[in-house]
Amino acid sequence: MTQISRRDFLKLAREGFLYLSAALATGSLLRFLSYAPASEQKTEFDLGSVDNYPVGSRTSIPEIPALLIHAESGFTALSLTCTHLGCTLEPNNNGFACPCHNSAFDAEGNVTQGPAVKPLRSLRIQITDENTIIAYTD
Amino acid sequence: MQTKPTTFHFLLFIVSGLLLATLSLVWWNSSRQPQPIELIPTLTGETEYCLTCHADLPEISASHPVETFGCVSCHGGERLALNADLAHSTMRGGGNPSALSVVETSCGGSNCHSGSEADDRHHIQRVTTSVQSTYAGAISNILFTFGAQPDLTARFGIAAITDENSKTGITALQAFDPLNANHPSVQKFGEECLTCHLHAEPREGEAFARETGCAACHTTGEHNLTTAIPYTQCNACHNRGNYDLRTMTFVERTDHPTQRIDDYYQPIAQFTQCEYTLDCVDCHTRSEVMGDGDIHNDQASIEYVQCKTCHGALEELPLTKTLTDPNDIAFTLAFLNPVVDLKLGDTILITEKGEPLWNTKVLPDGTYEMIGKATKQYFTFKPVMGTACEQKPDEQESHYCHECHAVEK
Repeated sequence: MTQISRRDFLKLAREGFLYLSAALATGSLLRFLSYAPASEQKTEFDLGSVDNYPVGSRTSIPEIPALLIHAESGFTALSLTCTHLGCTLEPNNNGFACPCHNSAFDAEGNVTQGPAVKPLRSLRIQITDENTIIAYTD
Repeated sequence: MQTKPTTFHFLLFIVSGLLLATLSLVWWNSSRQPQPIELIPTLTGETEYCLTCHADLPEISASHPVETFGCVSCHGGERLALNADLAHSTMRGGGNPSALSVVETSCGGSNCHSGSEADDRHHIQRVTTSVQSTYAGAISNILFTFGAQPDLTARFGIAAITDENSKTGITALQAFDPLNANHPSVQKFGEECLTCHLHAEPREGEAFARETGCAACHTTGEHNLTTAIPYTQCNACHNRGNYDLRTMTFVERTDHPTQRIDDYYQPIAQFTQCEYTLDCVDCHTRSEVMGDGDIHNDQASIEYVQCKTCHGALEELPLTKTLTDPNDIAFTLAFLNPVVDLKLGDTILITEKGEPLWNTKVLPDGTYEMIGKATKQYFTFKPVMGTACEQKPDEQESHYCHECHAVEK
């Protein structure tokens, strides 16, 4: 069996330590860089083709949350976030109701019962050249 | 001096080994960090990572969904921290953000619990001026008893408060400081008896952390807020033991009673069936318990519900109200604790001050129905009028009714 000298052993071990250290340092750096920064609230939503929303339709978009209305006059969108404290509204026979504090809104978004005092927000809608609907919440 | 080559190589070996050990430690430590769970509450629009460790907590109430409120808007804390000590370092009120010293920041705001009186949203103002918070009556009694003030008028509370609009004539209370007292019994009272009122500093220990502020009444379990408050919650303070006036100490009970009527309450106490069957909040109103916004002298000056509030008197039926306004506070209260499906047109009982007993209904046959706010049990009862009761109009306090209606124990 080949004998390894003390000096060679130290060299081999030292180089092994350094290579492993380099690998760990690189890994730590990559892990650090891979952490996603805190997200910002999304304000732009691609709702797909206009063909998906026939005239007369009222489509709930839970992702926003909002109601996309396609009337004869065009597209409008009503935010379904309660104007009191921001809970998501639920539809009912008369319009929308807040499950948190019982505010109520009619189908056009006007307040019919407090504690909310402001009507529901209308969202900005853009139709692209490719006939795609974009809704903006900012 | 020149280092020998062998020594140099050995040193390099040691240094590279230490470097590897250090980097391994850093890697291991960062591997222990939990995978962050991000939440962007609608109310704040700001990222917070509290759910990384607290995702298993139950929703605190249907009115405070975590997707809307998040954690930080109520609790404070460092929203982006993943280290528990750092994340918790700036929490408001420790484990109790409703402690009255911080409640305005945690629960206040014009849309939340410090809105206008007109909107009936001045909850914090009502609670901080309430007798449950000030303890004004007991303090003035002790001071009067030991000669430290000439009468029983409230001058001190647990904390200093002012209310220039108070309709009771008491517009301010100074903070009671037992160290300023000359009599040792007053000092002892200050040391022993001021820890269990809403504005007090709670006693040491996790078990007492939520026995002050809003949580004292509204937190009945782990991470919850409710208006369905069982009598056991009230009795965590109101049936917790006895005062020993010789030593001016509070002697806590050590038993664990199970029979409410037989061994839960003091042996000398008398009860009618409704007093030991219903929960306290079934009869006692919001203004009695949470205060009405004015500074009151003592408990007796804010409590007013009597047997006749629900049962009427010989010559008069209890007061009622037919609900015609969808914004009536009765609907809000029934919404928050949906034990009863109130509708426009329903007739309910109201108190002498007009507060709705929203968990009652007048039935078509002239009798009444009450639904337990915590138990959801149905109870029916009749008015006194038209019965053989010999009740006198000026004898309406419960001890008069107990003469005939107290349950044998």
